[in-house]
Amino acid sequence: MNLEALTACLGSGSCAVTQLSTGLIIGMLLFLVASGLSLIFGVLGVINFAHGAFYMLGAYFALTAYQATDSFLAAMAAGGLGVALVGILFERLIISRVYGRDVLMQLLVCYAVILILDDAVKMVLGAEYQMMGMPEVFAGAPIEIAGGFVPGYYLFMLGVSALAGLALWFGINRTRLGKIVQALAINPQMVGSLGINTTLLYAGIFATGSLLAGLAGALAAPIRSLTPGMGLSILIESFIVTVIGGMGSIPGALIAALLIGFTRSFGAIGFPLFVDGAMFALMALVLVLKPSGLLGTRAAT
Amino acid sequence: MLRVEHLTKSFGGVKATRDVSIDFPAGSLTAIIGPNGAGKTTFFNLISGHIRPDGGKVIFDGRDILGLSSLQTVRRGIGRAFQVASLFPSLTVREAMAAAVTSHRGGSWNILARFPAVHLRDRVDEILELMDLAPKHSVLSRNLSHGDQKLLDIALAMATEPKVLLLDEPTAGMGPDERWRMISKVHRLWEAKRMTVLFIEHDMDIVFKIAQRIHVLKYGAVLAQGTPDEIRRNPEVIEAYLGTDHRLAEAVAAQQSGTSV
Amino acid sequence: MRPVLRDGLLALLLLLVLLAVPVLFPQPALRDFLIYVIAYGLLAMSLNLLVGLTGLVSFGHAAYFASGAYGFGLLMQSGAVSVPAAMLLTVGGTALLAFVIGAICVRLKDIYFAFITLAFQMFIHSVILTWISLTGGDQGLRGGIPRPRFLGIDLTDAMTLYVFCAVVFVACIVVMRQVSQSPFGYTLRLIRDNPARANFLGVDVPRMKLCVFVLAGAMASVGGIVLALFVSGAYPEFGFWTTSGEAIFMIMLGGTQLFLGPLIGALLLQTLNHFVTAYTEYHGMVLGLVILAITLGLRRGIADFVYEQMTDRAVRRSAARLDAGAAPTGSHAPGSIKDEVA
Repeated sequence: MNLEALTACLGSGSCAVTQLSTGLIIGMLLFLVASGLSLIFGVLGVINFAHGAFYMLGAYFALTAYQATDSFLAAMAAGGLGVALVGILFERLIISRVYGRDVLMQLLVCYAVILILDDAVKMVLGAEYQMMGMPEVFAGAPIEIAGGFVPGYYLFMLGVSALAGLALWFGINRTRLGKIVQALAINPQMVGSLGINTTLLYAGIFATGSLLAGLAGALAAPIRSLTPGMGLSILIESFIVTVIGGMGSIPGALIAALLIGFTRSFGAIGFPLFVDGAMFALMALVLVLKPSGLLGTRAAT
Repeated sequence: MLRVEHLTKSFGGVKATRDVSIDFPAGSLTAIIGPNGAGKTTFFNLISGHIRPDGGKVIFDGRDILGLSSLQTVRRGIGRAFQVASLFPSLTVREAMAAAVTSHRGGSWNILARFPAVHLRDRVDEILELMDLAPKHSVLSRNLSHGDQKLLDIALAMATEPKVLLLDEPTAGMGPDERWRMISKVHRLWEAKRMTVLFIEHDMDIVFKIAQRIHVLKYGAVLAQGTPDEIRRNPEVIEAYLGTDHRLAEAVAAQQSGTSV
Repeated sequence: MRPVLRDGLLALLLLLVLLAVPVLFPQPALRDFLIYVIAYGLLAMSLNLLVGLTGLVSFGHAAYFASGAYGFGLLMQSGAVSVPAAMLLTVGGTALLAFVIGAICVRLKDIYFAFITLAFQMFIHSVILTWISLTGGDQGLRGGIPRPRFLGIDLTDAMTLYVFCAVVFVACIVVMRQVSQSPFGYTLRLIRDNPARANFLGVDVPRMKLCVFVLAGAMASVGGIVLALFVSGAYPEFGFWTTSGEAIFMIMLGGTQLFLGPLIGALLLQTLNHFVTAYTEYHGMVLGLVILAITLGLRRGIADFVYEQMTDRAVRRSAARLDAGAAPTGSHAPGSIKDEVA
């Protein structure tokens, strides 16, 4: 533990800003992934253990698209939309067969898909670490904010993820489609008997959730090194986020994701060896005190 | 044996049970009837400790059992069968019964012996005979017919050697023949064991034929209580069931008193 | 034949088979393969006490496997205890660990139970990784595990080690079988099928869940001890969530309902891993496809599937016999039954 370093950093303007911004983007990326997970669980009742693999795919799709077209926009689109397509296929071909089955079946099926996708990526692109590199447009000097320096790309990431989050919130709470989706979460049979195509909706929800994960992967690609195993750690963390925030709650996912993000960034200075431990301890704490999460809706005991 | 005094319970704004006071003498066979939503199942839940009342008392075997959990009320001697049979799907009839009896006799922590313990077999056989389930003892609970499932549901409640047995719609989901077979088994059970039995029932023919006493609930309160004859003639009860269509009510009343319209 | 006798004979048979195989096929690779099956078999069988018997899906069972391996390794490295004493202390210590963790976990239901067991396991895993001075961090326990002689048994000889592990293994299987077939085991089945009704029959559900949780953890630690003895070390992967995942997969592959299903699953998985890694480096893909085929196609474990096919045929045969021989049952006219009553 190095609490002196932590307090020193909090006091120093530049260190605080750096860690704050790092924590923010870690948190926002987590938020995108976790809100996709939460959406899928909240509406479909399925815990998508393969969600981390979608994040990984998003990064790799972005990398491939960028290397092929040199266009950052194409990379983003490939990441998000490409993974949305994979999500639809996954839902139609596999997940739809395990709706309502017990959790073990869902877990196994997702575990199988993770294994397959990891190896597929290895086959096509190799298992070594790959780098996408920062696109030209963001390669400029970092921007000075409140005494610290923040890479321009960070601001872009913050903007995109905040936009995505807002769009999601707006879509669910303020549109007619959103109301239907909320109804679907509560009573799917009723929605079906109202003549609404629930199959399409299910696929759509899954596509949206996967799109969010893929978008997060695409956003992360320039600043992280890519490896097939990168889905693993984001999966665990997004689970922690959904448990702490509450399964099925998007605002809860935001709060929890930011909490984890800051724990990571400031923890790297203050207690680098216990960051993982701290996250799991937080999760255990929430499960014991309020199992449905900070803003969750489903009962647990 | 069982007495409730001024029992009240609300869920949010809905008064599910309103100031209900009833005395159930030992060994009696009482029917609880009432239109849907009258609070009959809630009443059972309050007695068995599944939910806590907002006010009032439940006095069982001389002692106030308010605040006891459902586990504790079972241990005291209140047995319950459910509207939808609550069984153990993967166990056979005999296994489920043996496990229930084992648990009641305090043997469920035994790691050293083999199941089922031999000395419990008589008890298991006795209950299975009583409920006419003996020929089906090796059938998986989930493969039983609906009627047999309801019988097993009651048999499981019997495993706890209850002094009071609460039967929530024992004939639910059955056709007319099966309903009479079921209720005759309940009646035989009652006569053999002389327990205090409360049952919720919708079939009026059955109720009037079997019950010693009838309590009618409406909107959570006791509308009427008495012998079958008394209840049959009670105008408020008739109105509760048939509504306020006066001509229909008159016709029924006329029929009761022997004259024709 | 009385069940206890029959199970005893089957256990003896299992032991004989385990001992005969390396004698008949003396390749050391086969013996090594079997020890892996034993170690992971114990992990899977103990997990099934939770999953198949009680309906408790734990995602974090590997924590106790790792606890067994590291506990035993550290005790032996201290030089202060003999092998049997170290084993007993390790199992006891893991049982205590499982008690503390379980006391918190069993209060939660379903998926939340699964998550919190995972959380505790990953917490233990991160402790293993960071407490480098004790555990060697991500390199694993350094320096090997000494195997001093005890009671005339020399575990440095590979065959002796194998026989010792096989005997310990069968002993644990016998214990788990007894638990499964005891009144306690059937009460756990009550909890699995309908915890609310079990509660209403007087069963103390949380306490029973805790008890089987501790038992399962203790059994898993024996698996860890076997593996630690064999590889002469302990590694953080023993406590990683993928090990828990493989344990679940072994159970599902073999079947949750047949007693030896998880062992069969462990055997199948080890075989699959062995052959697939020999032919291709993409064994993940093969494994994944196999899992999909089983979960989407068979919808249950292989052993369960085979068992059900056999019992279905038996049931159909006896049902046919019943139909042929049974007398027709008439139904009473409605009026007559009514008159019987009251």
